[in-house]
Amino acid sequence: MKKNLIELWGDLVDLKDLILAIVICSVTTMGSFFLAPAGDTTKQLFFGLGGAVLGFVISTVLIKPKRTVIEEEEN
Amino acid sequence: MDAGLIFQMLLAVLGAIVLYTFIGFVPGTDETSVLMPVTLAVVLAGVEPIVVLTFFISAIITLNLMNAIPTALVGLPGGVMSTPMIEHALYLKERGMAATSIKKMATGSIIGTAIAIPVSLLLANILAPFSDSVKEYAPLLFVFGAIFLSLIGKNKLLALISIIPLGLLFQGLRYLYWGIGAVPQEKNVTVSFFLGITIGPLLVSLLGLLNKQSREALPRHDKNEIRLNKVDERQTLAHPLQTITKKEAGTSAVVSLLSNFLFFLSPVGLTILFGEAVANKEKDPVKKASMAITSMSALSHATYLSGVIIPLIALGIPLSPVAVGPANALFNAPPVFTLEHNIHHLLSKGEFVFAIVFAGVLASIITYFIAMRYARQMTAFVLKKIPHEAILGLFIGFILLLAYMDAGLINIFGVLLVGIVCGTLNKMGVNYGVQFMILYAAPWITTHLIFK
Repeated sequence: MKKNLIELWGDLVDLKDLILAIVICSVTTMGSFFLAPAGDTTKQLFFGLGGAVLGFVISTVLIKPKRTVIEEEEN
Repeated sequence: MDAGLIFQMLLAVLGAIVLYTFIGFVPGTDETSVLMPVTLAVVLAGVEPIVVLTFFISAIITLNLMNAIPTALVGLPGGVMSTPMIEHALYLKERGMAATSIKKMATGSIIGTAIAIPVSLLLANILAPFSDSVKEYAPLLFVFGAIFLSLIGKNKLLALISIIPLGLLFQGLRYLYWGIGAVPQEKNVTVSFFLGITIGPLLVSLLGLLNKQSREALPRHDKNEIRLNKVDERQTLAHPLQTITKKEAGTSAVVSLLSNFLFFLSPVGLTILFGEAVANKEKDPVKKASMAITSMSALSHATYLSGVIIPLIALGIPLSPVAVGPANALFNAPPVFTLEHNIHHLLSKGEFVFAIVFAGVLASIITYFIAMRYARQMTAFVLKKIPHEAILGLFIGFILLLAYMDAGLINIFGVLLVGIVCGTLNKMGVNYGVQFMILYAAPWITTHLIFK
């Protein structure tokens, strides 16, 4: 397999996937924020946080983690 | 106190445990960026102050222990507070002792919590009568805090040199926002600035990727191969005191006790300072690593708890890195809390003690059980299912949201600027603690520089 992963903040990422995740999370976060009634900061914050979590879930479904987990029997 | 309120507190404890158990297992989650926005949301939702406090205390206890588990199992730090343990945890893991590590960490966390709660309550009560005179000098204390943290850090001169320019950056942006009417005169933009500090190093790395030459020069890797030992599954629920030696228990208790008196210093700094000091006394490498992870786990709980409890009860102003950072919403979350009207002013001594002990005991018991029982399964789940990209995306989402809410579109660029400057300083060697202190010292520093 071609080596194309870079290390960022303690773990490996693929650049294309990273851009995808940032775009998704930014759009869902700010999109939900603007859906909330203007002037109600509490609702705006909740909608925004909800949007961020939604973006996180979508990115998790779309992107594969860059780790191979080997579970081994030992001893 | 009525039954309804106690029920809400119970829900707050359970909610914090569920949420931060999952977040804690995710490698790379930074404490401030995951604790602060959620606490802010809880405060702004209009939850009773005592319930907010309960939530926050259980969140700290859960997050600190769960953060340490991926460190023990696979060597990826769960968060900033678990980074000091990595080297020692990896050493034990290579010797097939990951399960032992987790047990020792969980027991350490119980010791740290059990010492920190009564001691910091006591210290807070001793300090409380002096709170008025302390508050009078609060702006100066932040300045001395910044200088003191610079002097005990690794890069003293560099940190000292950065204090005034960084203060100018923060205060300069605030005056700019006031000047062009982005925020009303009485509003001090703070929340988004310290998230900018927190995420600074990540922003600098991300922006660096836009430089084609440096991007192509980066080392490329293949997928991370991570080995998880099935033996760890035989984790049993041992009696906390059977998992560590008497010496480890005693040392952890002593360093936890000492750290309470230094609540105004950076928790990561204290954990490294004391943890390494006691570990270095052990000659045998396995004993040394065990001592390190046990005492560091105790320390991470003790430093965090005292850092929030003492300023909250005694002063009502954020005068510790924990209070300035992740716990900030308990002190300052307009329009619900302000520096003159927050949890400190709203709760009685009895309510403080009740909420803290309630959250401390319940969260410790439940997280101890989860850590002993499900550590391996949860780590395997997170490593297989959660991509690092999604976590970074989530952080960027948080920053955009809080920056926009603080001062509109212009502040997104303001926070970007804060992130670039602070991230660069961070990579050069000025640690978070110094930068957070400068953020609070900025108004005093800038108004006392007018000589002409």
